[in-house]
Amino acid sequence: MADNRDDFIIAIRYALLKKGAKQKFSLFFLISFSVLIITLDKISVPFIQSTRAVLNDFVYEVSTIVSLPGKFVSYLNQEKKNHFKIVSTNKNLKEEIEMLKRNRYNSIFLQTENNSLREALTLITANKTDSPIVANTILDQQSPYLKSIIIDKGTNQGIIKGMTVFSKNYLIGVVVESNYLTARVLLITDLNSKIPVVIADSGVNAILAGTGEKTELALEFLPNEFILEPNKIIYTSGRDGFLKAGLPVAETYLNKKNKLFIRSLADPQQAAIIHVIKGQSKQ
Amino acid sequence: MELLGKVIKILINNLAVIILYVLSFYSFEGVREFPNLLIFSFNLQMIIVYLYVLKFPNHLGLGHIFLAGIINDVVVGIPLGVSSLSYLVLSFFTIYIRHATLRSRMSAEWITFIPALFFSNLVYFIVINNFSHLSFYYVELLRSTFFTFLFFPFFYYFFHYYQTRILKDNA
Repeated sequence: MADNRDDFIIAIRYALLKKGAKQKFSLFFLISFSVLIITLDKISVPFIQSTRAVLNDFVYEVSTIVSLPGKFVSYLNQEKKNHFKIVSTNKNLKEEIEMLKRNRYNSIFLQTENNSLREALTLITANKTDSPIVANTILDQQSPYLKSIIIDKGTNQGIIKGMTVFSKNYLIGVVVESNYLTARVLLITDLNSKIPVVIADSGVNAILAGTGEKTELALEFLPNEFILEPNKIIYTSGRDGFLKAGLPVAETYLNKKNKLFIRSLADPQQAAIIHVIKGQSKQ
Repeated sequence: MELLGKVIKILINNLAVIILYVLSFYSFEGVREFPNLLIFSFNLQMIIVYLYVLKFPNHLGLGHIFLAGIINDVVVGIPLGVSSLSYLVLSFFTIYIRHATLRSRMSAEWITFIPALFFSNLVYFIVINNFSHLSFYYVELLRSTFFTFLFFPFFYYFFHYYQTRILKDNA
């Protein structure tokens, strides 16, 4: 019994302390070093933060280069799909153009009337001066642990933590980490994303949460009696004092099995060129 | 020409280290380039770490494993050092298994991969839960771990063949 215990202890000691012929560090040293880094990262020592920012920039740049072949394969695949889609889409678009032409004149009239009424109610503010920063997505990490993208603008271009990010005028996420040359955007599809929203035509407030899926989202804290209907647009409510109110984020739809789902209006993983603007008030 | 030959020789001799770094920079999650096969995502880094520490420890240093983990943390966006610790715990179990094993067989090494993976992921899970505010995709981690275990024999034979036949390394 004692021999077995001794053998076990010897094996553990061997695993932790013995260095191989070409090993420069012992396992015990590296494990201790990892624990130290995790601890320092947790307590946010300024030195570690600045080191991490430099490390982030370096790794993101290298990662961008390393992921180029993969991106090229995806690009070819996407181009092939696009080619076959174009023919059918073209036909649909022609019909849509005809319909839009008919609606256009009506729309212009309503817009003019709306602007006049908003001016009369002094609802138009000086927000027009917020010019968006255009950025490119350099990394699209579909990790099972975090749905985020890396963009090629950082604090050098005025990007700071908390800014909102749009793709094709639809909200796709918020800047959660800003380095000198790059920044990380947490997508609205991530589990950690929680956005206060209001549902169109009902005025019901809820929290829009990510599910970790590609474009699927979920609504939390809905009133018990409320029944969600399909084809409703979901807007930001601005209740957090951070996001502007009235930004379209998602829509409800029925899937093939007639089950109601919520999806993001933009596909965050397809966002190549994005716009970054300031939040509402807490900057 | 001579320089090119030297570079190719270095690349061939350090294949495991290069693959490990490339995967870390690329944040490889199996076959995610093919959306329909996303369900089969697996962690190749874990397989390489386990296999090389077990069979060819002279070809993959612990320092490289540590550094690859740090890079992976930065790319994925989780607290610094978590993946490193996870890989090192895996290495610890692997070294223990290597020390305790008298006669190596693929089936035995495949089975011992289970506790090694379990403790490695357990450390990962505990650190993420206690040192960050990130939510966790438990099902995906479980799925990824399962397929990591399942695909082990394929990579076992692949790397074993590479090391013993191409590099003429007697493990």
